[in-house]
Amino acid sequence: MNIKNVSQMPVAEGKSVQQTVELLTRKLEVLGAEKQGTFCVDCETYHTAASTLGSQGQTGKLMYVMHNSEYPLSCFALFENGPCLIADTNFDVLMVKLKGFFQSAKASKIETRGTRYQYCDFLVKVGTVTMGPSARGISVEVEYGPCVVASDCWSLLLEFLQSFLGSHTPGAPAVFGSRHDTVYGPADTMVQYMELFNKIRKQQQVPVAGIR
Amino acid sequence: MAGPLSVGVNLEAFSQAIGAIQALRSSVSRVFDCLGDGLRNRETLEGREKAFIARFRDNLHSVHRDLHELERLSNLVCKPLENHPLHNSGLLSLDPAQDKTPLYSQLLQAYKWSSKLQCHAGLAAGLLNQQSLKRSANQMGAPAKRRPKAQPTMLLLPPQYVDDVISRIDRMFPEMSIQLSRPNGTSAMLLVTLGKVLKAIVVLRSLFIDRTIVKGYNENVYTEGGKLDIWSKSNYQVFRKVTDHATTALLHYQLPQMPHVVVRSFMTWLRSYIKLFQAPCQRCGKFLWDGLPPTWRDFRTLEAFHDTCRQ
Ligand SMILES: [Zn+2]
Repeated sequence: MNIKNVSQMPVAEGKSVQQTVELLTRKLEVLGAEKQGTFCVDCETYHTAASTLGSQGQTGKLMYVMHNSEYPLSCFALFENGPCLIADTNFDVLMVKLKGFFQSAKASKIETRGTRYQYCDFLVKVGTVTMGPSARGISVEVEYGPCVVASDCWSLLLEFLQSFLGSHTPGAPAVFGSRHDTVYGPADTMVQYMELFNKIRKQQQVPVAGIR
Repeated sequence: MAGPLSVGVNLEAFSQAIGAIQALRSSVSRVFDCLGDGLRNRETLEGREKAFIARFRDNLHSVHRDLHELERLSNLVCKPLENHPLHNSGLLSLDPAQDKTPLYSQLLQAYKWSSKLQCHAGLAAGLLNQQSLKRSANQMGAPAKRRPKAQPTMLLLPPQYVDDVISRIDRMFPEMSIQLSRPNGTSAMLLVTLGKVLKAIVVLRSLFIDRTIVKGYNENVYTEGGKLDIWSKSNYQVFRKVTDHATTALLHYQLPQMPHVVVRSFMTWLRSYIKLFQAPCQRCGKFLWDGLPPTWRDFRTLEAFHDTCRQ
């Protein structure tokens, strides 16, 4: 499994989301990266139905059901800080049948779509994050194929990110630090997307700086 | 004086011995003739049996006599031959037809050439050793007397010796595992797994490394038939580059008289890739150059450099 780092690129001052994405992709093309198709990651939030909760003021856990175009036959179900389930795409049908236990949160669907770029052994995916009709932010995923242990290549990834994100480089995601020496898996990528989406959802209330 | 004389005596004994062999063969064939003819026609059955047994006994006696004579002569023939300085090839010099078959002079010529070649090869190896790596020479843990000295038949090292050398190297480096297999007869193939960084296929001919291919830890190294795939390249540019450098290293680490040192030096060098993704370039201090990490490792210091940053 290839190491991937998912991070958020803030919208440049005085620019729209679309303009910032264009700026970013142009930088990649100048670097020598080649276009290689498109990608899409989506996420829907479910919460446990009120009827199944205990009486002692238990709060329902949130569950995220996600799809990734890189794994077209799989469906991912994640809890925050919890386990990640990788299932067949049939899982969506199952969720409908489990309506009594898990209910889809209204208008919770969030997704990112964009272009894939190949540069040497790096695969870069720049996506526009949308919730409903509005563009909310930018996601940048960098994949490095040759390395299988995330903590081994973080410095290297960071240097690569700096080469086109400039000063907006992210801190190391949890997967890159805590679990030393474990082999990176698809679930690690989905957790990163889930955290990114949650961050962008929370920004909803606060007006995004720089948008005029 | 002793040489020609003894040869002359031998020739005498030889012709006698050949005569004795002929006599023996005819007496033996008489025995079988007699057996084949069986009982000849006589008046009484008793007379027939008597005559047959008498003939048979006579024949066996003559076989015994001839065999005894041959044994006596063969003792005369063998002894001086063993002492000839050139062993059997010395007999070629006795061939009187020198013009038609000049084998003996050709043999002497070839022998001179081969001893000259060995002498020159020894001198060349001595000179090359002075130029070679101090590191590999110093690493020789084994005492001097255990080193195999000047082996002209290096390609014929027994498989057991190769196995021993490889397993000793395997034990030397805990983060490196070496799997030895012999899918194509006597030549060994090694699958080297270095941490969770890379896998290298090393093809040996005796103890000489013929070819090496480096691939990613998560890449497939087997063909569909389950054999080690020694031809296909890595999908990643970084490992294709490392493969190129490893091939260069094969040419660099040369010590024809001590192939096990070469294998060990190569493995020591290969082991430095354990930090392939973690070591910045020692020259420019960066991780990436043209999208690649520092793929070059110095042969002496094992320091990491970008391909373009090495001297
Ligand atoms: Zn450099």
